[in-house]
Amino acid sequence: MSMVLRIALMIVSVLTLWYTARKIRKSQLQIEDSIFWMAFPAALVILSVFPGIANWAAERIGIQSPVNFIFLAIIFILILKAFSLSIRLSQLDVKIRALTQEIALRERLEKEQEGESGKAAG
Amino acid sequence: MRLLIVIPAYNEQENIERVVDNLVEHYPQYDYLVVNDGSRDHTGKICRERGYRFLDLPVNLGLTGAFQAGLRYADRLDYDMAIQFDGDGQHDPGYIGAMAEKMAVEDLDVVIGSRFKNEKKPFGLRMLGNQMIQLAIKITTGATIKDPTSGMRLFNRTMIQEFARNLNYGPEPDTIAYLIRGGASVQEVQVQMRERIAGESYFNFRRATEYMIRMCTSIILIQWFRKRGD
Repeated sequence: MSMVLRIALMIVSVLTLWYTARKIRKSQLQIEDSIFWMAFPAALVILSVFPGIANWAAERIGIQSPVNFIFLAIIFILILKAFSLSIRLSQLDVKIRALTQEIALRERLEKEQEGESGKAAG
Repeated sequence: MRLLIVIPAYNEQENIERVVDNLVEHYPQYDYLVVNDGSRDHTGKICRERGYRFLDLPVNLGLTGAFQAGLRYADRLDYDMAIQFDGDGQHDPGYIGAMAEKMAVEDLDVVIGSRFKNEKKPFGLRMLGNQMIQLAIKITTGATIKDPTSGMRLFNRTMIQEFARNLNYGPEPDTIAYLIRGGASVQEVQVQMRERIAGESYFNFRRATEYMIRMCTSIILIQWFRKRGD
């Protein structure tokens, strides 16, 4: 791994950490959601400080260049993240749908009950 | 026998009065429910002013969510049957009687108001999608549904509950395919449909193609992973 790449990784990771921390401070991100954005750049910092890890891992799984191992790992983690976000989105969609339906249903059923009690009284 | 006509309506201000007034005037034996799917035009206002029975969804959910809202209403009020009915005047309520009778006599789960049960499907680009989806259903279930894209479908009490309480039950051909594979009985009754009178059809060529691809993919690939009856 070249020195330039190591420094670049470090700078970008630190910036990401700083940005995530800022979002938490401004209450724009839930703690649960921030954990990933803290852990992921932290791992990149470790990889850039100790290039031996990437060298060793690349050799173990037969990747010629350690930098390719870094890319592969990042892509893999981001795909997992995208998938889990997609699931979250699906679940949110279901919840919003249920809430919307429930609001309209309650409004309707209340109205009908009022109508019925009105009729009974009259 | 209580039957609810569920009319999902999104921006149907030009059609909704004609459709509902026709039902109220000529078909008082059926209950109806308009589901205003967060329309941005005057659909909701018209329903309120005319005193229609309607659900007012605060945001737009799309056909699946709107129809499901209607079926949840049918479920809570214990309707025996519910029919999916277009808000644009394409469907003729005159056929509901025959569909309900077939359902009752043959104890069916779903009855589709079909344009092509006895009449030949016209050949052409417009019907290509319909034909493809028919083929996909034939391959995966063995059943022949001659008008899978018909939007006029009658559901019995079991189906009302299933649609109201579950995820991935859109009122679309892929759900029909899934139900058939899960053992539901689905039959067709010949009906005539009108061209829409006012407003613009949702389906242009691109959307129709996308719809066909989505349905075929869903029927052929995705529906296998589902398990019915959990």
